[in-house]
Amino acid sequence: METVLPEVTAVGVIIKAVIILAVISAIAGFGTYIERKVLAFMQRRLGPMHVGPYGLLQLIADGIKLFTKEDIIPAHANKFIFAIAPAITAATAFIALSAVPVFPDFTIPEFIPLLGGTFVPSIASDVNIGILFVLGMMAAGLYGPLLAGMAQANKWGLLGSARTAVQFLSYEVVTGLSILAPIMIVGSLSFVDFNDYQNEHIWLVVYQPVAFVLFLIAGFAETNRTPFDILEHEAEIVSGYATEYSGMRWGMFFIGEYANMITIGVIASVVFLGGYSDFFFIPAWIMIILKVAFFFFFMLWVRAAWPHIRPDQLMWLCWKVLMPLAVVNIIITAVVMMAMA
Amino acid sequence: MSLEQFKDRNVGVQNYRQLDLPQSPTTAMCKVKQVAKRSLKGELFVGLGVTVREMVSTLFGKGLHTTQYPFEKLPISPRYRAIHEMLRLLESGNYRCIGCGLCEKICISNCISMETRYDENQRKEVSAYTINFGRCIFCGYCAEVCPELAIVHGGRYETASEQRASFSLFEDMLTPIDQLSLQQEYQGFGAVSPNADDNIKKTPLAY
Amino acid sequence: MSDITVKINSQECKAQEGEYILNVARANGIFIPAICYLTRCSPTLACRICLVEADGKQVYACNAKVKNGMNIETVTENILKERRAIMEVYDVNHPLQCGVCDQSGSCELQNYTLELGVDSQTYSIADTVRESKNWSSVLHYDAGLCIVCERCVTVCKDMIGDSAIKTTARGGEALDKSYKDTMPKDAYAMWNKLQKSVIAPSNGTEQTNCSDCGECVAVCPVGALVSRDFVYTTNAWELNRIPATCAHCSSGCHIYYETKPTSISNREEKIYRVTNEWNYMSLCGAGRFGYDFENTNVSKDEKAFALAIEAFKKAQTIRFNATITNEEALMLQTLKEKLGVKLVNDEVRAFQKFLNAYSDASGKSLYGSDFKELMNSDFIISVGSILRKDNPNARYVFNNVQKMNKGAGLYFHPIGDTVIPTFGKSVETFNHKVGLEEAVCYLILDLFAPKDKLSDEVKDYIESFKDGDTNGLVELLGKDSAKFKASFDKMMGKKSSFGLMVGEDFFYHEKSENLAKLIALIEEVTPLNIAFIPPKSNALGVSLICELDDEATGYTIGYNENGDFKLSALGDGNLDIPALNQQEGTLTNMNKKVVPTNSALEYNGYELNDIMKALFDVPRLAIDWTAYLPVDKGFMSHEFDSLPNHYTNAGVELRGYSLVKFTREANEIKVDRFDEKAILEGDIVCRANPQRQFSDFTDKAHQINEAFGLYVSDAKSKSIGTSKAEISFGDERLILDVMVDDRMEGDIVALPDFQSKHNVYGLFGTSRYKIVTIKGV
Repeated sequence: METVLPEVTAVGVIIKAVIILAVISAIAGFGTYIERKVLAFMQRRLGPMHVGPYGLLQLIADGIKLFTKEDIIPAHANKFIFAIAPAITAATAFIALSAVPVFPDFTIPEFIPLLGGTFVPSIASDVNIGILFVLGMMAAGLYGPLLAGMAQANKWGLLGSARTAVQFLSYEVVTGLSILAPIMIVGSLSFVDFNDYQNEHIWLVVYQPVAFVLFLIAGFAETNRTPFDILEHEAEIVSGYATEYSGMRWGMFFIGEYANMITIGVIASVVFLGGYSDFFFIPAWIMIILKVAFFFFFMLWVRAAWPHIRPDQLMWLCWKVLMPLAVVNIIITAVVMMAMA
Repeated sequence: MSLEQFKDRNVGVQNYRQLDLPQSPTTAMCKVKQVAKRSLKGELFVGLGVTVREMVSTLFGKGLHTTQYPFEKLPISPRYRAIHEMLRLLESGNYRCIGCGLCEKICISNCISMETRYDENQRKEVSAYTINFGRCIFCGYCAEVCPELAIVHGGRYETASEQRASFSLFEDMLTPIDQLSLQQEYQGFGAVSPNADDNIKKTPLAY
Repeated sequence: MSDITVKINSQECKAQEGEYILNVARANGIFIPAICYLTRCSPTLACRICLVEADGKQVYACNAKVKNGMNIETVTENILKERRAIMEVYDVNHPLQCGVCDQSGSCELQNYTLELGVDSQTYSIADTVRESKNWSSVLHYDAGLCIVCERCVTVCKDMIGDSAIKTTARGGEALDKSYKDTMPKDAYAMWNKLQKSVIAPSNGTEQTNCSDCGECVAVCPVGALVSRDFVYTTNAWELNRIPATCAHCSSGCHIYYETKPTSISNREEKIYRVTNEWNYMSLCGAGRFGYDFENTNVSKDEKAFALAIEAFKKAQTIRFNATITNEEALMLQTLKEKLGVKLVNDEVRAFQKFLNAYSDASGKSLYGSDFKELMNSDFIISVGSILRKDNPNARYVFNNVQKMNKGAGLYFHPIGDTVIPTFGKSVETFNHKVGLEEAVCYLILDLFAPKDKLSDEVKDYIESFKDGDTNGLVELLGKDSAKFKASFDKMMGKKSSFGLMVGEDFFYHEKSENLAKLIALIEEVTPLNIAFIPPKSNALGVSLICELDDEATGYTIGYNENGDFKLSALGDGNLDIPALNQQEGTLTNMNKKVVPTNSALEYNGYELNDIMKALFDVPRLAIDWTAYLPVDKGFMSHEFDSLPNHYTNAGVELRGYSLVKFTREANEIKVDRFDEKAILEGDIVCRANPQRQFSDFTDKAHQINEAFGLYVSDAKSKSIGTSKAEISFGDERLILDVMVDDRMEGDIVALPDFQSKHNVYGLFGTSRYKIVTIKGV
């Protein structure tokens, strides 16, 4: 049905990886600016205004601050683990992105020397178990906060890591179960197949609204966003797993969190909302950006509107409401598919 | 003795009366109903609606509550008691302060100090005046007691400085002579009441 | 005078016959407003506010005397009306500048205006321009503020004796006639007088010719009279009052040092002025204005201190003067006892010898009377003292006796003085030749001693001068005996108590021992109460505490004096010591009282007791010595902190304690005849300071500006002819500025001793007069 894609070369993959790293890091940083602005407006404030026009350069100021801040490692901390824990968070977040189609693929125009004609794929690594890989990688991201909290010899850190284990492990179940139903429909674990399926049929959110909602809720928990940010809930446990962190190490947790937010946004868009396909007259690449941006904005919106919940409510919600719903959804999907078949 | 009281760790609840709380669900069915009701009621979306409404109105410049402080300042009440100001007589530009020392006397934190002398015009002249702002509690007694409305509280509330002395000398507080026309009459604590003229008793000393 | 009782506002009050109602009320804590009255002066009747009703009749409390059983009401409806009218009148045209006025807060006009509730004004008159003036180097008079209560005039006349100021015409408008009928009577009379007068120097010029004592400043109820240095420098309420004792002369007056931080940047205390309880005692110019003699910027100089310890260990003599506390004198005496050093004190030695000679002859350890008692006498005699220069308090006593007690006075001194005769009509001055002091004593014996009490020898000797109606003693002393007899008889009329004050000439005299005996004899046989004028500050204390030596030998330590190692409170010595306004301690004054003084200013250096502590095991503080002052000399073993230092409302002086006087049986007093050949002839110089100068300390004070020079009378200055003169004491010669003292008379010149660097005592030796050659240069 389609023209055969050009060969994916190593150079193309590297270019794609560099683009993802650069763009997502920048977006993660820019995300903080957007978050502050959006929250400010929702609270009738202005947000950052002084560095650059409308505070646009606040991001740079913050970066300079984070880079130049003293890096403190507490006396009784496990120094090695304390040092690498933020890297785990950031690394897993970016690794997960390697199997996610971030932009549509394109070919570098011929007139650009050296790299001219190189094909850059939409996914750095189009593994055929893409969804599994991404979910697994995000699950591995739990080691970042877990190790960070346990390594820093701090009560709040320890509480934070305990909550990390509880929250991430629990919601991993919901994520997996909720996305199982769309997988059953599409019959593939590749994001590209999801994209293509929806391109041919209709957006999966129509078939699987419950799965979409469950995935979104679980996504909030996976990315540690309000109302589920009990890992570092400052009203209860100071800053949770990040209590003793400062400077760029703390900044890496932040980048990881924002990268995860984008990952969730991309997965939700590709799996449920049609992915990077053209939508009437809107080109595909704009569509995917719009969709991811909407999810990103939605997370901020929720943060401004809704309160935190307690850890016990979180667990109650997960095991007593969301997980049964997900199971029921799978069963119904299976029954319907059998009937249809 | 049972351990019940120790196991009840819900400290402080026992003696409180809780008002306006709905009945807790008792049966499993009730709980399911409650969950369903809460899930479907859409309160969460009301919250989202409120925030997005505010965002939109703020984006269009309405209902913005931010004052960009160092660049914009809110007007403060004339009764606000910030760093003192020394006023001049509007006609001549001379100091209003006559060196009577009442502020020095009334100051409850003992932070005003002044030096006076007999000047060439046979008048009392204030040769030095200082307020120790490390000790001043801005109570306003000095402004209230001043018979000449010479020392008053101004609106200068930004008191961060490398040295306290930057505020505390007579010249620092005095209205600059070139800004005499901008000098505001003090309305705060100790100012002349609006009906002061009515309270003046006439005496036969018409000379 | 007998005790009587009167009723004031139905309160029983004990009083003495002849006391004024006001003083009785004050002594009993009953308030009667009074502005113009001064306790020890004659009533002025300027303010009329002290109106009271005595036995149904309105009288002025300040000049009506109590009678036994009198019923006095201090407040009646009419009196309140008068008082309120009076205060309203005082407030007419009084400038509303309380804010800047120096007296604000301690102003009697403010107080009485508030007390009588003056909240509106009924009277008015056009104001007169009255300009403020400087009357002298210290006096500043703001006529605009003056309420013409005349307290300054009164105190200057009745207490000080200068009569340097008087009321003069103001040139104001006359009062509206209608007031005479509508106003209360006394208020109108007072206003009528007030509107016509203002105060001015009495010599008709713009400058007062007076001793600059500043007592007029002290008594001024408003801010009209202020010292020039103090005017507008501070408010009275900012000042800390430190009760102390003036250390400049032997009067030992009670003063308050009033201190406040020097400036905004320098928070060290500074003395702004000296005030006194002017109702009960008067200060002189030195006491009031000579306060800033402190030793400043002193820190503990350990090197100098170590040198001082070495110096004390090898010292053979300690030279000091009378400006020293009793405690320090006791320390020096202790040094003498433990180290065997000699104590040399030129200012005190002669007085000590005289006092000892007097004690030996009379059997009394101290002179019998004091100046408080002399002030109540009505016949006063001064011998051997230049009253105006030697001791202000003695002079005030002499003057006050004339003014207040309708008294009479005899003044014997070789140096003529134009002020003394102005003290009263019944003052006779004898300007006798130098060397005739014994003759003076014989004349006093002749005048006052009952003949049967004198030994035949003395009686015959006195009679030998008489030839018919001519008294040779009077003639010898330079007066016409017939005239003197007439006036003396008049002076003696209605006199009941007699006083004699003995001055410095008698101590520094070749025949001082015989003079001491003569004084002892006078005290024994005549009704005269006798008091000595100790020559300098604490001369009496030092003479009682220390065993002084005549000659300095070997290595000498100078204590505020010249020496091989000098301890000085003037800042010019090898080791700094505190000045007397930086020290606690006691002083012994001419009234035989041991009075405490407190330190007004901080002192951070070493003091004598630190040296004592380094040498011996002695008390920790200098004032711990107070209790160890020699009891056998009349001191008591009171702790310093138990000594009071104030006056009560009734004027009772509660200051320290009085020395105990010991009396033993004495032999009959044998006196020698005098030798007329001892009279000095030629150019004579007398060791005498200008008024207000007593020592290096007064000299250091910035408001005391009398210079070191040769003080001469107007006539003498003309005969010298130049502005500088050379004065030769044999080999030694001094070239000094000639200063004209227009109140001196005669040819005798005065050489001051207040600067110790000139060693004037060395030039004079044991005498106060020397024949010298003076020539203009």
